[in-house]
Amino acid sequence: MKTLDTKGLKCPQPLIMLKEALLDLKSGEEIRVETDNDTSLKNLLSYLKDQGVEPEVSSAGTVHTLVAPKPDQDIASSNAAIYCTTDLPISYVVCIKGELMGDGDPELGRLLMETFMDNLKLQEQLPTHVVLYNGGVKLAMKDSPVCNSLTELEELGTRIMLCGTCIDHYGLQFDIGVGMISNMVVITETLAAAGHVVTP
Amino acid sequence: MDKKFDLLSTVEYGGCSAKLPAGLLSEVLSKLPLAKDPKLLVDVDTHDDAGVYKINEETALIFTTDFFPPICSDGYEFGEIAAANALSDVYAMGGTPLLALNLMMFSHELIPLDVFGEILKGGQDKVTEAGALIVGGHTIDDHPPKYGMAVVGTVHPDQLITNAGARPNDILVLTKSIGTGALVSGEKNRLCTPEDYRRALRQMKHLNKHGASMALKYGVRSMTDITGFGLAGHAMKMAEASGVSFRIHTPQIPLLPGAYLVYEKGSIPGATFRNLEFTGKHIHCSRSVDYNMKMLVHDAQTSGGLLMAVNPDHAGILIEELNSIDPEVSAVEIGEVIPESPRRIYFE
Repeated sequence: MKTLDTKGLKCPQPLIMLKEALLDLKSGEEIRVETDNDTSLKNLLSYLKDQGVEPEVSSAGTVHTLVAPKPDQDIASSNAAIYCTTDLPISYVVCIKGELMGDGDPELGRLLMETFMDNLKLQEQLPTHVVLYNGGVKLAMKDSPVCNSLTELEELGTRIMLCGTCIDHYGLQFDIGVGMISNMVVITETLAAAGHVVTP
Repeated sequence: MDKKFDLLSTVEYGGCSAKLPAGLLSEVLSKLPLAKDPKLLVDVDTHDDAGVYKINEETALIFTTDFFPPICSDGYEFGEIAAANALSDVYAMGGTPLLALNLMMFSHELIPLDVFGEILKGGQDKVTEAGALIVGGHTIDDHPPKYGMAVVGTVHPDQLITNAGARPNDILVLTKSIGTGALVSGEKNRLCTPEDYRRALRQMKHLNKHGASMALKYGVRSMTDITGFGLAGHAMKMAEASGVSFRIHTPQIPLLPGAYLVYEKGSIPGATFRNLEFTGKHIHCSRSVDYNMKMLVHDAQTSGGLLMAVNPDHAGILIEELNSIDPEVSAVEIGEVIPESPRRIYFE
């Protein structure tokens, strides 16, 4: 395993060295970084965690040693020009029209919706957006059984988009637990630009 | 041995990235009683750019200060940048600067005295350009050096532009490119071209004067200047003060040439990480926002641009007119104001 000795160096030198060294590694291959600067350690960890990597840290005296595998290639950051002009290769938007999944017994519809959301966040390819309108906005309220699932999706970078008119109509302005209030212009644009739309 | 003294050699942090972490500042300020007076139109409560005091129906006084350690090697340029940065808080309230006092910390034993003179000259020239007057100042012996100003300006009370007036559907306009922190870091670590660094210096010296006059002309409702807390941090404070949220189109954010590459190489200043910690859960980045952009919106700016919330009917003409009367600015629409949502800023 390659070891980077960054002792005595201050921020941002250790991160510069780490990023340079990572270029030569294969995906999953590990690297060890030594630092004696607390801020640098914190910033290295912040960077790696942001790339989806959980580094192992051990400290002896003032020296911290961090071991981490090379993060998977970040498609968006690998090329700034591509990032600016195109979207991710395959994208989809999930469109939620009401509180229930499918027609029939409401109890069953509620349960199905909960299960759908639980499974959605586990997908390898996550939706770029979850758009909620009409009764669907109620799912994003603080007391909704799927509020936590939607929050987890948001943490993972999915934009949860709520129909503002619908929020107003149901008088839910003060109950929102997750999501960005939007309008029909943006919702229409989002649905029209989606690679495909999934409607449970 | 008449090699020019390099001011950057005196500091590890420079410019606004020398700010106390925002979270710590809020913690300290929250324990102090707020000064309250009916004549105080803007106090520290909304984390605005300056304090504003109404003298009479025609005039309100804008009072502000800012100072920091060297951001560049040359004394004259450091003076210009520090002055432009201090004056900017007056412009950000829609005001006109009138008077300034120099604030200087300088050790004549460690730095040649002519550097002192150069810094003051740079500050003076910038204040003159702004149409204001330097009426004195104060110096104490300290190292590394720090320079800045306390500035007084005026505004008609009805034309005051605070950070608390943004309303849903307003268009967000940013008047300068992002990335001064990146390029200063890039210069120190030799990861950017001299041209790109010079361009960043030029932008930092540039007054927000025309931006402020356009904001007044087109009745801008809310404005702030982007400095040490980065675009994300200042946008967050503005959205919070206004009781709204912002949706920002990240690919539309103008970047200084070279800034992205500096971050890609890992030369990300500590201030950026501190700002990221400060905004925390209050901001959200879509998956389409890559890591470097997420960090660049937290890049601490020195003498950054104005962020305005503009009536949608006026945004296009304001941008066009500002860019034509002031070729040094690059005003663009970067997003819009949306109703208050669980997070303050949504980057996509």
